[in-house]
Amino acid sequence: MEQRRKPRSTGDEPGLWVLLCYRVPREPSAPRIAIWRKLRRLGTAQLADGLVALPADARTREQLEWTAEEVSEAGGSAGIWLARPATGAQERDLAAAMAAARAAEYAAVAGRARAAQGADGPARAAALRRLRGELRRISRRDYFPPPEREQARAAVEALVSPGPAAPDQAGAAAATDGGNRP
Amino acid sequence: MRWVTRAGVHIDRAACAWLIRRFIDPDAEFTFVTDPAAVPPAATAFDIRGADLSHHGADCSFETILRRYELADPVLWKIAQIVHEADLDDQRYDAPEAAGFDVALRGLSMTCADARVLELAGPLFDGLYEYCRRATLLGREPG
Repeated sequence: MEQRRKPRSTGDEPGLWVLLCYRVPREPSAPRIAIWRKLRRLGTAQLADGLVALPADARTREQLEWTAEEVSEAGGSAGIWLARPATGAQERDLAAAMAAARAAEYAAVAGRARAAQGADGPARAAALRRLRGELRRISRRDYFPPPEREQARAAVEALVSPGPAAPDQAGAAAATDGGNRP
Repeated sequence: MRWVTRAGVHIDRAACAWLIRRFIDPDAEFTFVTDPAAVPPAATAFDIRGADLSHHGADCSFETILRRYELADPVLWKIAQIVHEADLDDQRYDAPEAAGFDVALRGLSMTCADARVLELAGPLFDGLYEYCRRATLLGREPG
């Protein structure tokens, strides 16, 4: 995690980025869509058509390498590059765009958390569980945490305090759920 | 037999090494390389780009090895779901254990050398296997 945040250098020394340059055949569409989904899940920055980037560390590099492999298996071509933005300003723009994309996702989660605030015990517990999972997934692709992250976390965790309606039901719902797991 | 994988092992490689030693080759010896081109010709590579025993399509290397060696044990496939989610986190399976295993292995890889990570992960996967085996037999979480 520490390592992941390194490229956020606000100084003028740009960090190292890992780039995936790829081309996937238009048909069949299933592998092309799977690759697109994977890149979206990783939170890559789109630099150009068929060129995406992530701040480089062992994990991001590995994830993009596997994606490159998947592109090859889909009959496409892919290459992995390690690169530094030439200027600190260029890196900051890239980081700001990535942070803005995450901020929008966090804001959506916060909105749904606030909407669930008025729900009854079991519905609140379900929303809490779902939104925590979503926050965790967004955090994994969040390389430059925006302030919206804390706001979303606070909004989601506010669902923990038992609602005025039925605190016992919320506890019972959580217990039932735990027992149902395979 | 000699087996080679990438240095800096994490959950998929640790789980693969455990699987190989316990179900495929009890005398397995593991070496770690940083460059995929450095794999010696006599060794079997896994979880390295370009090797057969690697990610394929949506599968992680652990799943690929299960398929290649035709290991149909449902307990191993349950473990495969946990390894897959810890490695890829793509919500293909419902494996809440994955997050914990991911952190445990990530932490070990920060404090221990690769060979040591495999040593420590072995009993952990033995335990996971036993847990999943009992859960499969009982049809619920074992006590």
